[in-house]
Amino acid sequence: MSTDNPGRPTRARRSDGATVLYVAFAVAVAVALAAAGVLTSGQPRSWLAVAVLSGLGIASWMLRGANVGERVTLSFVSIILLAAAVIGGPVGAAVVGGLATVVQVDPEKLIVRIFNIALFSSMGSLGGLVYLWVGGLDEASTMTSAGRILLGVGLPLIVTDIAQCMLNALLLAGVLRVATGSPIRTQVYRLLSTTGLAYIGYGVIGFLFVVLWIPARVGWFSAVLVLAPLFVARWAFVQYGDEFRAHESTLRALVTAVETKEPHNAGHSERVAQLSAWLVESLGLGHKEIQDVRTAGMLHDVGKLGVPTRLLRARRELTDDDLVTIADHALAGVQMVQDIDFLSGSVDGIAHHHERFDGLGYPAGLAGEQIPFSARVVAVADVFDGLTTSRAYRPALTVSEALDVMNQRAGTQFDPLVVEALGRALARHEWTPTVRSDEELVAAGVAIDHDEPETSDLLASRPDLRRRVMGAPERTMESLPVVPAGEGLT
Amino acid sequence: MSRMHIRRVDLTVPVVVAGVVTTLASFWTGIDDVPHLGRGDLVYLSVFLVAIALGETARLTILTGRETAPMSTAAALGLSLSAVRGPGDAPMGAAVIVSTICLGMVAGTLFLRVVNGSVRWADTAARIVGAAVAPVIYRHATFDGRTLLSWQDSWDDQRWFVGVVMLLVGSVAMLVDLTLEAAVRAGRDHAPLVPAVLDEIRSAAGLATALVASGALIALAELAIGVAALPLFLFPLVLTYFAVQRYATIRMTYRQTIGALSSLTELAGYTGTHHAQRVTDTSVAVGRDMGMGQRELTDLEYAALLHDLGQIALREPIPHGATVMAAPADQQRIAHDGAEIVRSTGVLDNVATILEAQTTPYRQVREFGQDLPMASRIIKVANAYDDLIGPEGTRDDRAMERIHLGLGYEYDPRVVDSLSRVLERRRRAAPSAPG
Repeated sequence: MSTDNPGRPTRARRSDGATVLYVAFAVAVAVALAAAGVLTSGQPRSWLAVAVLSGLGIASWMLRGANVGERVTLSFVSIILLAAAVIGGPVGAAVVGGLATVVQVDPEKLIVRIFNIALFSSMGSLGGLVYLWVGGLDEASTMTSAGRILLGVGLPLIVTDIAQCMLNALLLAGVLRVATGSPIRTQVYRLLSTTGLAYIGYGVIGFLFVVLWIPARVGWFSAVLVLAPLFVARWAFVQYGDEFRAHESTLRALVTAVETKEPHNAGHSERVAQLSAWLVESLGLGHKEIQDVRTAGMLHDVGKLGVPTRLLRARRELTDDDLVTIADHALAGVQMVQDIDFLSGSVDGIAHHHERFDGLGYPAGLAGEQIPFSARVVAVADVFDGLTTSRAYRPALTVSEALDVMNQRAGTQFDPLVVEALGRALARHEWTPTVRSDEELVAAGVAIDHDEPETSDLLASRPDLRRRVMGAPERTMESLPVVPAGEGLT
Repeated sequence: MSRMHIRRVDLTVPVVVAGVVTTLASFWTGIDDVPHLGRGDLVYLSVFLVAIALGETARLTILTGRETAPMSTAAALGLSLSAVRGPGDAPMGAAVIVSTICLGMVAGTLFLRVVNGSVRWADTAARIVGAAVAPVIYRHATFDGRTLLSWQDSWDDQRWFVGVVMLLVGSVAMLVDLTLEAAVRAGRDHAPLVPAVLDEIRSAAGLATALVASGALIALAELAIGVAALPLFLFPLVLTYFAVQRYATIRMTYRQTIGALSSLTELAGYTGTHHAQRVTDTSVAVGRDMGMGQRELTDLEYAALLHDLGQIALREPIPHGATVMAAPADQQRIAHDGAEIVRSTGVLDNVATILEAQTTPYRQVREFGQDLPMASRIIKVANAYDDLIGPEGTRDDRAMERIHLGLGYEYDPRVVDSLSRVLERRRRAAPSAPG
């Protein structure tokens, strides 16, 4: 979130009285700072400059709404306020800050608008005062050499930048404290850690603005030149955000496509993804691992698309051949996603989610720590969700029953550490068994599901079947439709 | 037909020659000035030289698939417009400036060649010629008896006007650059020239604006703080660079995900190996040949990749996945199911529309005036061609014969003409291929 977006008070819970008081306090601060500005420096040198900067400020404030993707904000208002502190002096900057927030696109509460005006006008005044106080230069005649400009404008601007950033964080944290009751210190810390880095960038660009405006004597036209590349950057960030969201939705379509084949199993992928993420969390790993394992859980059965529909909804016991065909799905899934670079962290989890800790699983027969970590996690989540889902041949197990089954199999089928984590995760999060409707049960067929522990044990006891599955890479290639050459047009 | 041929000249060789001539000519005329350069001038020029060379290594692939080097171009423009003085306190001549730019760009490209293995010299040549335009106009051409650079002194009290003039000169240079690069690309892709240039300018307008503005920024700030302006005022452009780069990366990821969706039918055994990829290659080649813009091409590419997606809802695969053999009603159901899956993403509506109409015969347009997307007509022809040439790709003549039978009724004649041209080029490129 960006610091210049205090639209939060509208969602205030224990609002009004305290909030009104607080906003009155902010207005008092703004008025006091403005008075100090008038006393210190009097009128701004050029009202034209103030008018141009105010126009830019209004335009930037109206543009601020668009979300430009995660952890990216470009606050042009902050840049303009910083430049105004030098170019317009304390009074000019206060006017720029106040005017910028007067116009609103979306109708917001009056009190929010008043708070914003007070906030930005205070930041302007304070910036101008601090800049003068630390001895910043503000006339072209004194900025004679590159060195003087760097020391006499650059350094004071850094101080100004910090002051504005702190004031912004403090006043905002205050309003959040009053409106939502969250402690000031955590709010200040959060605001500074999310926008602190951006303020460094604003500082540099504000400096460029001032250099171009005063010593290079380009005046108001510098706005066009400095902001043009930034507008393009902003445009690209917005495009990025759109494309990012589009990509997320398309990825979801990949999962939906798999579920069109198995409508009775809808939601399984989603649940396995969620449970896998909880498991990794309980094991104390970081953001990246959680993401990778979650994606692996989401896509672990994507290879089922290659399994004939009649086997997925079988009306009879599965034969050995059927079992081998179904077991292909692990490697078929890998084939589907291996060309997608950003899924590279999830491929192992998809490939090996049917390995067993004792080495009797498929497709590679890996044992213990040889099995990739993500696969050991997805395996547990996958089977647990299967157990707590009702089947045609048995009702859904309760959480504690399923947990017992899992515990019995720790060390043989599953990694004991992950099963332990499962216990912890389920203590922390709510898990509801999935009860399916009668129609869904009928559609699912009567064959034992491939995720059941029984299926795993069956394959574990049949080395001949496992050997056939392990030969799968070649088999998968050959099982693609072989087209007789003589057919076609006759 | 002859008009088409004129529009399809390959300008790669002329552009490379122009680049080489520019470089050599600037060295030839600039060499006399070099002994008179002071130490300060040399330092100044080398700072720009290094920036241009470094900028050249930070490449960016934009929407049209063109590679640009924004920092290099902006630094070159800044140097071209700067008021730097040369020997005898006269303004530095255009020849020395162009030489510096050429040296920097060639050095950067050479470095990339060593590190990455392959670069496109024609693109660099186009950029060199474009970059040389600005100093020639600004420092050499005379308007009313004086160069723009010397006019700049008389406009000293109206620096904003100087800024406007700089933006104009930069825009002209940028236009030359974009036109030449689009010409090279059109030659490479066998696309008609004029639409390619227009598309390039449209797609690159944003980045080009940022580049031209940065060039003017550097030149103007240089008046106040000297050569320190270069690193400082490239900063906004660096931000732009990263933003555009992120955009380019996510686009690539997106393309991969669509590719994975496309391979679903293949892995599920519904369609033949690489059928979707071949149809896509043919469709995109036809689309380019017909002068489609980049956005349309992207939609066409995605739709072609996904054109058989609807088959995964079938219970039993149809023989070899060849939809051209299926009954019209089945074809339409497959198209419809595919469009529905794609539409469920909520973000690919254009692609869904194309998919929906991919089986509609062309006569609907002729007889009922139905509005059929060009992309759908292309996919219809490309899909039929790929289904008809047979698994070994040996029935080329018979496939075209069959398609010609449906000309005007099933297939759009313009698309079929374009397909013939594309196939003709393929045969010429690989004379030993079966066919």
